[in-house]
Amino acid sequence: MSKRIIGMIVTICAATTVLWTIGLIVTIQDQFFYEASSIKQPKQTTGNTKKNDALSIVALGDSLTRGTGDETGKGYVGYVVDELKKQTNQHVQFTNLAIKGQRSAQLISQLKQKEVQRQLKEADIILMTIGGNDLFRGGEALRDLSTTQLEKEKEKFVQQLRTIFQLVRTVNNDAPVFYIALYNPFNDLDNGKETSAVVRSWNYAASEVAADYKSIICVPTYDLFELQVNDYLYTDKFHPNKEGYKRIGERVASLITLTKGEK
Amino acid sequence: MINLVYNEMLKIVRKKRLFIIAAIVAVLVSLFTYAQFKQIETIRERIGTTDWRTQLQQQIIDTQNRLNSTGISEEWKKFLKIRLQQQQYYLDNDINPMAPGAPTFMRMFIENSIELFLPLLVMVIAADLVSSEASGGTIKLLLTRPVKRWKVLMSKYIAMILSTSFIVFSVALLSYAISGIVFGYGGWNLPLLTGFSIQGEELNTTAVHLIPQWKYLLIEFGLAFFVSLVVGTLTFMLSVLIRSTAAVMGIMLAALISGAILSSMVSSWESAKYLFMVNLRLTSYISGMAPPIDGMTLSFSMTVLAIWALGALIVSFYVFTKRDVY
Repeated sequence: MSKRIIGMIVTICAATTVLWTIGLIVTIQDQFFYEASSIKQPKQTTGNTKKNDALSIVALGDSLTRGTGDETGKGYVGYVVDELKKQTNQHVQFTNLAIKGQRSAQLISQLKQKEVQRQLKEADIILMTIGGNDLFRGGEALRDLSTTQLEKEKEKFVQQLRTIFQLVRTVNNDAPVFYIALYNPFNDLDNGKETSAVVRSWNYAASEVAADYKSIICVPTYDLFELQVNDYLYTDKFHPNKEGYKRIGERVASLITLTKGEK
Repeated sequence: MINLVYNEMLKIVRKKRLFIIAAIVAVLVSLFTYAQFKQIETIRERIGTTDWRTQLQQQIIDTQNRLNSTGISEEWKKFLKIRLQQQQYYLDNDINPMAPGAPTFMRMFIENSIELFLPLLVMVIAADLVSSEASGGTIKLLLTRPVKRWKVLMSKYIAMILSTSFIVFSVALLSYAISGIVFGYGGWNLPLLTGFSIQGEELNTTAVHLIPQWKYLLIEFGLAFFVSLVVGTLTFMLSVLIRSTAAVMGIMLAALISGAILSSMVSSWESAKYLFMVNLRLTSYISGMAPPIDGMTLSFSMTVLAIWALGALIVSFYVFTKRDVY
């Protein structure tokens, strides 16, 4: 090895030592002696490229939209997207904003976020499920079927649903919204008749709210789970399984072709 | 003195270790570049867009869903919560923390290698600085020269510092050069946020400020250098104490790996924060990740590390100058 190469390496070593020491000094100056006065003003680059030509689908809501219970992880939205991909050669862009266990009040606060609104604005199709957690509260409601309490809950839910639809429509006035209504996972239990009645009345209330807005479609799922409910439920006896999601997905997908044809 | 240091550098370079280390770095960087490239592609496929806002929003939602699922540990939950708040902060301020580019890759690479990979490389150099002379018997030749013992050791220590900075430099250079082929070489001026502080489960953003990426990288590499120096100094001490290079490496390896494991499970053992190995992840303070134990801050970790290094240095010099060599 020639002397020059070693000399070069030593020079590099010395130079980089100086560089890293500067880095350490910068660290100390930046992290420890920073005055929290000048608040940052990032360049606002918002609002770029409003619409691209992709078909944009945005999904909102709770565990159903998330796909809990489907071992493939798709959920009904996955099947809808698959179906649409088959029908169109347009590029499909899909965002799932659903959060497990979300109730209507939480969805309202989510809808107020800037970025969520931006995505909704660009959406061509909006899919949503909400209300399941408001109603079933993780099985609690079953034990306590007192009508006054349930009426109160329903009243609250209806109001919040109205706020949700209102928010969605202010952000995006054109995209069809498919609100997937509730089914009764408990209709084979002893008090199946009573729980079914409650689910029906909630669904009715929800479809009344949906009817007040332009192209918000309330998609029934109650009938899909009416016979042999356990064949379509996941082992938790609450969320649908793969077959259950497929049924919901097929129904929603069929509606989307229709509305697109009408346009 | 300069001649002594030069002499030591000559020994290090002759052993060709520096080049082997550079080759290891090059291979790993290529692997990670490919992995990163694949990852970006998968995300793009899944969401169907290259818009980072949509991707970040999706990540936030995914994290929220993980938070809601049962059976995840409290520590992990806390970590996720803090990251969630941070991602939301980036989104609210319209800043893309992951804009593709070689500098972004460098940042990711150094953040992931500061705890284990980089210390291991430094260890390879530092482990046999003194012990190989002892086991090979050349130490006698070295000490019979008319130079004070502390000067001999000092020259070795300086050589260690120089090679450490060479290693950090080769990580910087190679990660930039190789990843740039795929991601492009731009992005030095990308604005990034720093100054997050964590209080319990909340992310405190009062001191948050924007710095360009080049400054961010300078800070992170400075810290990586600091960490490497501390690990190097500790290895150096062991190298003085123990004649067998293999034993030195074994001990350091055990310490470093136990540190990596410990930091993921020590949150309930508070006094563990005085161990050097759980303090190695200095870059997470810059990016605002949750520390392994509550109450750890950048200044705390740097102080702990500095004290360990200082202690090791004192021990090495004391032992080396007093020891009988035969």
